[in-house]
Amino acid sequence: MSQIPPHPAAVEALTLTRCFDGLTAVDKLSFAVPAGTIFGLLGTNGAGKSTTIKMLTTLLPPTSGTARVAGFDVIRQPQAVRRHIGYVAQMLSADGELTGYENLLISAKIYGIPRSQRGSRIAQALEFMELASHADKMVSQYSGGMIRRLEIAQAMLHRPEVLFLDEPTVGLDPAAKHAVWQHIRQLRKEMGTTVLMTTHDMEEADQLCERVAFMHGGKLAAQGFPSELKADLGPAANLDDVFIHYTGASVSAERGDYRDVARTRRTAQRLE
Amino acid sequence: MNGLRETALRLSAVVDRDWKKFRRNPVVIAMSVLMPIIYLMILGNSFQGKLRGLPLAVVNQDSGPYSRSVLDNLRAIAAGPRTLVIRAATDEAAAVAGVRNGIYKAALVIPPDFSKKVVLKAGPEVGLFLDNTDGISAQALRGAVNGAVGAIASDYVPIRERAYEIHLRDNNLYRQVDYFQSLVPGVVIMSIFLGAMTTGVFNIVMDRFVGVEEAYLLTPLTKTDIVAGLIISGLSITTAVAVLVLAAGVAITGIPLPGSVEQYALMLLLIVLATLSLLSLMFAILGRARHPRIVGVMSGFLNVILFFPSGAMYPVASLPGWLRGLARINPEAYAVSALKAVLFKGAHLATVWGDIAFLAAFTAVMMTAAIVLFKRTL
Repeated sequence: MSQIPPHPAAVEALTLTRCFDGLTAVDKLSFAVPAGTIFGLLGTNGAGKSTTIKMLTTLLPPTSGTARVAGFDVIRQPQAVRRHIGYVAQMLSADGELTGYENLLISAKIYGIPRSQRGSRIAQALEFMELASHADKMVSQYSGGMIRRLEIAQAMLHRPEVLFLDEPTVGLDPAAKHAVWQHIRQLRKEMGTTVLMTTHDMEEADQLCERVAFMHGGKLAAQGFPSELKADLGPAANLDDVFIHYTGASVSAERGDYRDVARTRRTAQRLE
Repeated sequence: MNGLRETALRLSAVVDRDWKKFRRNPVVIAMSVLMPIIYLMILGNSFQGKLRGLPLAVVNQDSGPYSRSVLDNLRAIAAGPRTLVIRAATDEAAAVAGVRNGIYKAALVIPPDFSKKVVLKAGPEVGLFLDNTDGISAQALRGAVNGAVGAIASDYVPIRERAYEIHLRDNNLYRQVDYFQSLVPGVVIMSIFLGAMTTGVFNIVMDRFVGVEEAYLLTPLTKTDIVAGLIISGLSITTAVAVLVLAAGVAITGIPLPGSVEQYALMLLLIVLATLSLLSLMFAILGRARHPRIVGVMSGFLNVILFFPSGAMYPVASLPGWLRGLARINPEAYAVSALKAVLFKGAHLATVWGDIAFLAAFTAVMMTAAIVLFKRTL
């Protein structure tokens, strides 16, 4: 199962550990995401996925261990990491009080895209995410799927090497969900972006991710190609079975706290 | 240099976002200008320099001429400075009960033998029943009644000029400033406080609360970009509002406009520095708050501890020692005192440079603390 990735790693976690008040949320986690792949980090609520993403994106300092993202160390070169990644949070991050265009304009300035290129980059991003006709509408009037697409456009504006997506389709209806998947695939295809995403949705993981890793209790339970992982369990196994097999998803194992659940519900509600 | 251009760009992103959002909220804009002006109206009318309209029950049991002249004097006070309103009461018991029930602030009882005792110089007395739980009113009424009673005694014993008596003659150094006008600098400071509370750090707490901050912190924005950017946008918005409030306050209360450009420049500088002081103070205190309610509670508290000992309503020199100590580190006190000097006395830079230096130093210290204390990570 542990094979040498064919490409250089875009993300490499090295015994990454994070403790909160005695509880080890992420426990000596090591894994590598080959450049140019769509990688799914899967697990139950509280398995440590979000904490891992936060450490990889420099939002949370690791208690021990480190990680390299786009070739930079998250502890020693956080500013360089930030320049080379894009992130779509689980919670809504687009500003509802601004238009789609204005949201993108502010991102463009934050990433230092020169004035001469700003207009064309924004237009291109809007076009790519099929939002061009809604550019001047207030984001508060967008549908859930449109907001997610805008957030992806925002995260992609500076052409990051690695794009992090934390539960990108939570709360979306099936049509909007498929549209978001389509755009993620296209991004990878056209720009060669590495995508590291978390999800609960095994259909999403199966459809989208070329490689997956299962986390359980802050540790890596399994990783590999979805097809291999399924085959390991038997000919009729699907990814749901793999999920249950590796994460032992029973009620007692659910460690998602009130905040996790409240956040997801709130996001889902706002996307309605 | 490329780095400098990028920093400027990042700052402008933070400022631009804040401006755009503020502009989209016309209600907030209108309220930030109107509220301080309403404060001025309410403070000016509810919290007067002199008390007015205090109900005084009078029971006159004397039929002689001197009780009538006491009443005449009281009527003159009721008509002139209007400190009190005279209410006739049937008897002493009813008047005192009225004071106890809060109908009157005091009851004056002139006994039957008052005029006789005045003539006989037999120590005439009147009874004054005060609601002493309301100290300010009681004091004002005691003063008014004392005046009314004392005036008849001076009738009776004419004052003779004596060589050794010292006479006071007022020499007003400045143009008269009435109570309403004297409130204007304080109200400007209040508008600055309101502005500093609703811009600046409030935005970061709000972003944190709704979860936008997470995406914000993942960008190359540095701590300084975020803190300085929000302070710049808060400064520009608050300064504009404070200048409007000052102009409105000056127009409404009829303060004569200062003559020279220096005074206008000084007032603008003081408004800018006061705004920076309060914005950076709030950033230092609230930079880590996670819930907008904390900002609300803290703002209410800060407003009281900064505004009341600022000298805006009551002279700092009359405060007890420990409160004067607080005033010495209170940026609002420096701003109020300097604004008053410039607005009412036409002070020059030489007079207020100490206040300016304090406000600048206060800003520098708080801004540094704000940037150090602000957490870049979750």
